[in-house]
Amino acid sequence: MTDSQPWPPPGRRGAGGPGAGEPGSAGRAGGRAEGRGSGDLGTLLGQVARGDDAAYGVVYARVAAHVFGIARSVLRDPAQAEEVAQEVLLDVWRDAARYDAERGTAMAWVTTRAHRRAVDRVRSEQASAAREQRAARAEVSYDVVAETVAARLDAERVRRCLGSLTDLQRESITLAYYRGCTYREVAVLLKVPVGTVKTRMRDGLIRLRDCLGVD
Amino acid sequence: MSIVRFRRTDPHTLAGAYALDALGEADRKRFERHLSGCPSCAQEARGLGEATSRLADTLATQPPDGMRERVMAAAARTRQDPPVTQPARPAWPPRAVWPARARWTGRRWGIAVACGVLAIALVFGGMAFHNEQQLNQERARSRAIAAVLNAPDATMMTVAATSRGTATIVMSHQARALVFTAARLPALPSSQRYELWLTGRAGARAAGMLPPPRAGMTSPVIVSGLRAGDKFAVSAEPASGVPHPTSRMILNVSLP
Repeated sequence: MTDSQPWPPPGRRGAGGPGAGEPGSAGRAGGRAEGRGSGDLGTLLGQVARGDDAAYGVVYARVAAHVFGIARSVLRDPAQAEEVAQEVLLDVWRDAARYDAERGTAMAWVTTRAHRRAVDRVRSEQASAAREQRAARAEVSYDVVAETVAARLDAERVRRCLGSLTDLQRESITLAYYRGCTYREVAVLLKVPVGTVKTRMRDGLIRLRDCLGVD
Repeated sequence: MSIVRFRRTDPHTLAGAYALDALGEADRKRFERHLSGCPSCAQEARGLGEATSRLADTLATQPPDGMRERVMAAAARTRQDPPVTQPARPAWPPRAVWPARARWTGRRWGIAVACGVLAIALVFGGMAFHNEQQLNQERARSRAIAAVLNAPDATMMTVAATSRGTATIVMSHQARALVFTAARLPALPSSQRYELWLTGRAGARAAGMLPPPRAGMTSPVIVSGLRAGDKFAVSAEPASGVPHPTSRMILNVSLP
């Protein structure tokens, strides 16, 4: 790999650091730790499905920062990111009854939708060639906010696990997830065969899964 | 043709790219079709999806001011979609029709998926061998399974069990045999195992025991000696096996 990036990417060093959060917004970015384990988020979705506005407010508080963060990461443009985030969050309200705990955690259900929607948006907009060039140049900078201790620990753990992957695994995964590149685009960016990217993505995710201890 | 050939074209390798939304539209749809007929792929996709979801933990970003109010207001005037309901299950004994979700497919693609799944299950099974004799038995079993999978008239079906979980069946009239594998069937107490049955005009014939699952997935079992008009069924029975079914079938399908 020739054009390898430093890890963590330069713009992300301050993630969760001082000044990242705004006063009075605590709790909004703290979804994962509370949603996991207790299975609370799934239960809340059940209540939302029955039209419970208050439960929806709690769900919003737990997932909005994740949803917006994903949209922001993939789309870059804050205005578009907000539009996509709103659509996804409204979908959560509309489709809450379709959430099936058998198929995965509630947080995964929400984040999968958010990522899919952001990626669909970005791909429908641009010819892939133009986007590849842009992705290659794009500066990675996130004003990432992790306000609660639990959320910071979650993020830290993910970073640590990402750090345990090989460069090629990690870069294949981050280019795809954080920037919304297809595996073919990733192959061009990393100058490796598409088959290699496919397998690195899978191997890397398997390692990540095992490192994070998800089932 | 060996099983290895299927593994090389195994769509399993797309599971990572799929979880990351890194497939183009066409690839994505193709992979989703596979998932619907491939319990072990679906299980892996789920795990990789969870891992992928955790990547979002590093992205959590404070949304812009006012977004919450806008979303709440939009929700307040948006009708919620109703849940997806299951089609009514046929009463026992079921009519001689396919359950709603069942479908046979003779498409090469579908079979290739099954073969990939089964090949992987075989490899997993391989880890459990203790001696030469077991290894030889396993080789013979693998050959018999490969014969069914590679039969020109092989057809595949995926069907939901009435309890929980899914089963994949590949059958060949020519080989007079079928290969059965299941995922996420309800766990049984150690005193019980799932027993397979072929039911014809003369009643139910015991057709083998299902090995206990590994990670929710049972390794493939071959059932031979099919007769015309047979149905295939599965029930939970004492672990030693019984000559006639003593409990309600969790799966009962007509064979084509």
